[in-house]
Amino acid sequence: MYKNLKVYKWIINLSLTIVCLIALFPLISLIISSFRPSSELIRRGITFNVNISEFSLSNYNYIFVQAPEYWQWYMNSLIISGLTIVLSLFFSSIVGYALAVYNFKGRNLIFLFVLFIIMVPFEILMLPLYQLMVDLQLINTYTSIMLPLIVAPIAVFFFRQYALGLPKELMDAARIDGCTEYGIFFRIMMPLMLPSFAAMAILQGLTSWNNFLWPLLVVRSNDMFTLPIGLASLLTPYGNNYDILIAGSVMTVIPIVILFIFFQRYFVAGLTTGGVKG
Amino acid sequence: MKKLLFLSLVAFLIVVLAACGGDGDDTAGGDADEVETVGTDLEDATDLTFWTFAGTHADFFASAAERWNEEYPDRAIAFTAETYPFDQMHNNLLLALQSGSGAPDLVDIEIARFPNFLQGDVQLEPLNDLIEGELDNFITERLDIYGKDGNYYGAPTHLGATVVYYNTEIMDEAGVDIDSIVTWDDYIEAGKQVVETTGIPMTTIADGWYGIWPYITQRHSDFFDENGELTLDNDINIETLEFINQMVNEDGIAEMSPGGNYHSEEFYGFMNDGGQASLVIPMFYMKDFTTYMEDLEGKIEIRPMPIWDESDARTVGMGGTGTAVTNQSENVDLAKDFLYFAKLSEEGNIHLWTELGFDPPRWDVWDAPEVREDNIYYQFFHDDIFDILLDIRDDVASVNITEHTPDVLDEIDTNIMHNAIREQSQTPEEALREAADRVRSVMD
Amino acid sequence: MSATSATSKNKQNKLMKFLNSKKVVPYVFVSPFILSFLVLTLYPTIQAFIMSFQRILPGQVTFVGMSNYDRIFNPTFYKALQNTTVYMILTVFILVTVPILLAIFLDSKLTKFKTIFRSALFIPSLTSVIVAGVIFRLVFAESDTAVANQVLGFFGVDAVNWRYNSWSAMFLMVTLASWRWMGVNVLYFLAGLQNIPKELYESAEIDGANVFQKFKNITLPFLKPIIIFVSTISIIAGFRMFEESYVFWETSSPGNIGLTLVGYLYQQGIQQNDMGFGAAIGVVILIIIFVVSLIQLLLTGAFKRSDM
Repeated sequence: MYKNLKVYKWIINLSLTIVCLIALFPLISLIISSFRPSSELIRRGITFNVNISEFSLSNYNYIFVQAPEYWQWYMNSLIISGLTIVLSLFFSSIVGYALAVYNFKGRNLIFLFVLFIIMVPFEILMLPLYQLMVDLQLINTYTSIMLPLIVAPIAVFFFRQYALGLPKELMDAARIDGCTEYGIFFRIMMPLMLPSFAAMAILQGLTSWNNFLWPLLVVRSNDMFTLPIGLASLLTPYGNNYDILIAGSVMTVIPIVILFIFFQRYFVAGLTTGGVKG
Repeated sequence: MKKLLFLSLVAFLIVVLAACGGDGDDTAGGDADEVETVGTDLEDATDLTFWTFAGTHADFFASAAERWNEEYPDRAIAFTAETYPFDQMHNNLLLALQSGSGAPDLVDIEIARFPNFLQGDVQLEPLNDLIEGELDNFITERLDIYGKDGNYYGAPTHLGATVVYYNTEIMDEAGVDIDSIVTWDDYIEAGKQVVETTGIPMTTIADGWYGIWPYITQRHSDFFDENGELTLDNDINIETLEFINQMVNEDGIAEMSPGGNYHSEEFYGFMNDGGQASLVIPMFYMKDFTTYMEDLEGKIEIRPMPIWDESDARTVGMGGTGTAVTNQSENVDLAKDFLYFAKLSEEGNIHLWTELGFDPPRWDVWDAPEVREDNIYYQFFHDDIFDILLDIRDDVASVNITEHTPDVLDEIDTNIMHNAIREQSQTPEEALREAADRVRSVMD
Repeated sequence: MSATSATSKNKQNKLMKFLNSKKVVPYVFVSPFILSFLVLTLYPTIQAFIMSFQRILPGQVTFVGMSNYDRIFNPTFYKALQNTTVYMILTVFILVTVPILLAIFLDSKLTKFKTIFRSALFIPSLTSVIVAGVIFRLVFAESDTAVANQVLGFFGVDAVNWRYNSWSAMFLMVTLASWRWMGVNVLYFLAGLQNIPKELYESAEIDGANVFQKFKNITLPFLKPIIIFVSTISIIAGFRMFEESYVFWETSSPGNIGLTLVGYLYQQGIQQNDMGFGAAIGVVILIIIFVVSLIQLLLTGAFKRSDM
């Protein structure tokens, strides 16, 4: 029995290590590439034969010193993602919560709508949505970039699953104490749902940070670009700007890694309670 | 109380949302990149916006705007250039023109996408009044590709004269005198010698239109004739694709290009390391050499394309980007005059060469002292570049563009080159006929 | 009904009472969603549906009846459908089975450095597809010195032209998708595992059950809701796939080996400026996704659970 355990221990830890190395490999190679001169990268690609002596910080020097637009894009992405997280957590949680704890007419229909949003291919909505933004005069504003993310169907779905697991007795007790329905949500249930908020903060932050197609349709000027758009604009058929692209990509990943490490405990805990009632 | 709290929270969020529009506008005025904005500090300057997908084009127009403001202070412009990702810039333009709102004053449209913008009611402004008096000075074929029904809608960026870049180091090693290569047969013979002595392929063939279009155009054929009829599977095209196939799969003097085209990371590295002895591509590729293939400095010689027989054109104008004025511009006349100044005038054409390294579509500047002045391209290559062009100027073939050109280009990318050359799953004739049938079915 | 007896009869109080009634509250809560659904999804979807019967050119919008739909079912569309279906099946299979296994490993008492492993698995999903595309293109470049081919060379296998073979094209797309989404799915399953009462395993061990019996009889049944959730999301995502193909070939891949349904929509609707046709393709995609998800949910019994 104990011998077996030791073998299992080895198998498990070894296979996890291998999988994690594979998972991290592209990023590690990206980080290594960011220290190589871009001409060298073009010449040899990502390769195992890396020459340490050629490493330099010139790419970073370039984005920190010579590329003011990069930091403008960074700020845009930070502001937009931050606002999106706050707003979408609020709006998605109240919907998911209502779908879970109240019995009301149209509940199932609304849930079907949630699934429908996940299903519809965004590409066919591009022209009508663009026209709508033009009519609402929202082109080239943060608002238009964030709007489609604010009520996020997957987040609604998740909050619903999570709220299903909340103890309903607490609600009744609160009502007897004279608490209003809104009070029940904001003062009693919301604190109980905090882990799920942490989880969705990560997922929403991630979605917004990497969002590409939609912001591209509605931004009109370079100084409103978000990071993914800015980085993509460096890839052109008339020459790619690798110096800023590779180093810029590394800097792009860092804030969400921090966000993740910060919230990840809650993330697992949050999914736990929500999952059971799936 | 709590309801009030809730309602005020909602109100607060609405205010936050509404305020965001303001945020955006603030930043737009604030730290805009100075390189791409010109003249915003001038009083009474008229706003002009320009979209492009190439940062170098943005710089080109920005410097033109500076010169314009010095020369015409009474018609000063506040110029803003926006660089978007390639695909998305064209998409955004399409949506903006379709919905009637949001398009810029001036825009760069790549040749393969240009036909999309000539469909329906054309939303671009004709440039005829700017050009018509000076047509003789232009290689007019380069204006026709951006035209429809006798109207010119795009200002060309370059002639795009296709030439051969020879790597002299490899050619010398193989003992081939590049000036002795006159016909394509000579080219193949030289190729065999190169492969035999050095083991390096004579050239590589791209999976896209670079691998066929220049060759058929040189023989006065094309995908479409002047009347817009599909000629993709005519005899000359089949014969030419067979010739390409022979170079790659029979004589073994050519390979398929790494990365599938001449603009990938892989190809730059390959070419730079002396991976092939020669490259058939338009003049505009000089910029790629100087940017990505530094090791080749002083080793590359430019020569005209070899020919099959005397009736062939000596060069073909390929690729290109047309700058257009949209009908959503509030200052169409100003935008057109500025476009003329920047890109169509003699001075503008000189700058196309000195700033971008493009062969200007106006041949009357090829002799200009400013063009003949020393610059990085003469240093990288050699100094008789424009003599070669002047020599072949009367013999430039060009392409016919129709609204179905994008369909043909897509067939070339996905099926023709792949099936006929790379995989050899079809003969060139089969590949062309099948592709032509598919395009015909779309055209009906 | 839930409010305590009102002491004052003024208007404001009535309004508050109304707003606080259990009948009204849920509608207040879902109203932002309804609004956003109507404006940002339903309205544009209806517009797109109308567009699918039109030929759309600037200044010349004409109704063309069913002709867009008549053109859809051509060999290129079937190729796209085939690619997408194969891709969907492979990704659903890989992104359900492997994460379960990894989650069980991560959940095991025997595992060290859980936090590090968890973060390492999750980090790829933080990378935008643009950045991931650049990395993968360079890793799977054609040259012998690119990493993927170096690895093959180490095992004595010839270099592969990754982006030009049908099998390797699918491999690239599935690998990219698996790499990006593995960590997220692991976390879903990990969460599911936390809900299984440990006593169940203990009593099973006393009964002499081995590892596989425990997995089959305890772990799997408890994970079922999560499996349904993950596979539903993965099926939909598989059918909507576009980016994983776009970063390798943009919209034109050799022999259409990388063409997906949404890629076809994009190519025809946007790139070739045939928005009416694109909209028709979109409607067909929507119907396919709807039917397949519905069948999948029925087969897995998801509708039997009132709260799924």
